[in-house]
Amino acid sequence: MSYIKFENIIKNFGNVNVLKNINLEIEKGELVTLLGPSGCGKSTLLRCLAGLEPVTSGNIFLDGKNITNESPKKREMGMVFQQYSLFPNMTIEQNVAFGLKIKKIPAEQQKEQIDEIMDIVGLSEKRKSYPDELSGGQQQRAALARAIVTKPKVLLLDEPLSAIDAKLRRSLQIEIRRIQKELDITAIFVTHDQEEAMVMSDTIHLLYQGNIEQSDTPSNLYVKPETRFAASFIGHYNLFSAMEFQELVKKEIMAKDIAFRPEVVCLHKEPPVEDDTYVFSGKIRDCMSHGNTLRYAFDCHGKKVDVDTLFTSKKEWNTGDSCFLSIRQNDCILFGTE
Amino acid sequence: MDKTKKYERIWILIIMIYLLIPLAITMVYSMFQKWTKVLPEKFSLSGYGAVFSDKLFLYAVIRSIVMCIIPIAVTTVIVLLALFVAFVYFPGLKKFIQMICMIPYSIQGVILSVSILSFYVSVNNIFSNRYMMLCGAYCVIILPYMFQGIYNGMNAIEMSTLMESAQMLGAGGMYAFFRVIVPNIATSIFVSALLAMGIIFGDYVLVRNLTGTAFENMQIYLYQIMKTDSVKASAVFVIIMMITFCITAAVFSLKGKERIGHHKKRGRK
Repeated sequence: MSYIKFENIIKNFGNVNVLKNINLEIEKGELVTLLGPSGCGKSTLLRCLAGLEPVTSGNIFLDGKNITNESPKKREMGMVFQQYSLFPNMTIEQNVAFGLKIKKIPAEQQKEQIDEIMDIVGLSEKRKSYPDELSGGQQQRAALARAIVTKPKVLLLDEPLSAIDAKLRRSLQIEIRRIQKELDITAIFVTHDQEEAMVMSDTIHLLYQGNIEQSDTPSNLYVKPETRFAASFIGHYNLFSAMEFQELVKKEIMAKDIAFRPEVVCLHKEPPVEDDTYVFSGKIRDCMSHGNTLRYAFDCHGKKVDVDTLFTSKKEWNTGDSCFLSIRQNDCILFGTE
Repeated sequence: MDKTKKYERIWILIIMIYLLIPLAITMVYSMFQKWTKVLPEKFSLSGYGAVFSDKLFLYAVIRSIVMCIIPIAVTTVIVLLALFVAFVYFPGLKKFIQMICMIPYSIQGVILSVSILSFYVSVNNIFSNRYMMLCGAYCVIILPYMFQGIYNGMNAIEMSTLMESAQMLGAGGMYAFFRVIVPNIATSIFVSALLAMGIIFGDYVLVRNLTGTAFENMQIYLYQIMKTDSVKASAVFVIIMMITFCITAAVFSLKGKERIGHHKKRGRK
């Protein structure tokens, strides 16, 4: 039996249907990510689980118990918000102790738990500081400490890293994952950043327009997107309708849409002769460096195709060059096959 | 310093001198003793001595303080709770509360006192009590100031998220409000309360119209004393002025601290 279960969850804000019959199951100890673009309903779903938003209809189960109508404080969940939301009038230690005091944990035990959690998040030396004396990363770690010190049944993270710069974000992603594994806590992470979701999750639930578009492991979601939206949101897929692609490769496609990732495209000076490969020509319109990869934007008979290659010190292709592009048929994903 | 700033300062200085002259002269006058044809024979603090040894003055001060504290406390609680509900549960209500709280700005003291009298005087219950009417009138008069201060304080913090954080940690609504929200807007509440105190301290119209001379607060005491002893009256005036000055200084000092706090916060982010 799953640890958390969403059963036919519908949530309306006035006339707007934000969540459309969501059914979702989460196992104990997992870190799952609710991924999707802004307005897809991922934060609303998390808030429904937290009890901060009532559901319009449906049921939420935690460890077999129906918690749909329970107040937030009875759900025993910890939450980390995007804006940190530390209490400005309290020191970090007082912030962390807040939940313990409410739970009426004896003072000695409180101290032990606070010491332990401060060590885990690496804020032992900042315990007497006020939130406004800490950097964004430290504040977020303090918020995390406050959320997990009470040993909640589930840890909810609502885009906790979106206000933090890229370098710190990467280190915090690893840190959150480490803490989650160390404490063996079930965690639900909300983000719109697919890379973040890939790094952190055991399972990703991709949401789109209030529906679960696909639920899968990060690698499966990356290699085998099941819908056109999943392909467009994950992995920067090149997406074409069958007709567009047929015009490009001069071969018949038995599907409605076709998608391929930028890194599966090979570049050649001469057209390759391979049976199971689509080949077409194009001209490099633009080239952007993404650190270890280069992304070429090709103009292929009026259609834009992105191609990723590994960065090498000797740049093989330049803007304005014409060449041949090949894609193995197995690397293409077909949607709406008949 | 450029020329424009220099001229600005000179103008401010001239205006300050112009405004302070009557106050300074009153202060000097309050220390006059024996009057000659042109100037006093000597100065003394006997006027102040007379005022401070007058039991009626002490009672007037106590009355003024009590009549300050009660309306401020009542209004603070009402505005705090109303805004708490509006901010957290019904954000749409904020503009209506604002509208209602701003109405007293446009009501003059005379009109308010006459309206209250004509409305409540014939009602034979607790509200027809003159002191009750005065207290209620002060609640109305200070409403915009209390509202604006508390509203700004609540706007400056992320109230909904703080409340939600506290609730997620197991706190109930009221506990979260008084333990988390109120301490964070305490300075705003205090500044508003001091402003309101200044307004009530300076009121003469309402207390005169609603209670006659039955409720002898500091303003009424001053009015009575002016009829008999002008030196003593000047001393009373100077004391009132000093109290008001202290209140204003406290407001400015707290405002300054608040600004520094916000600046510090922005700078660190």
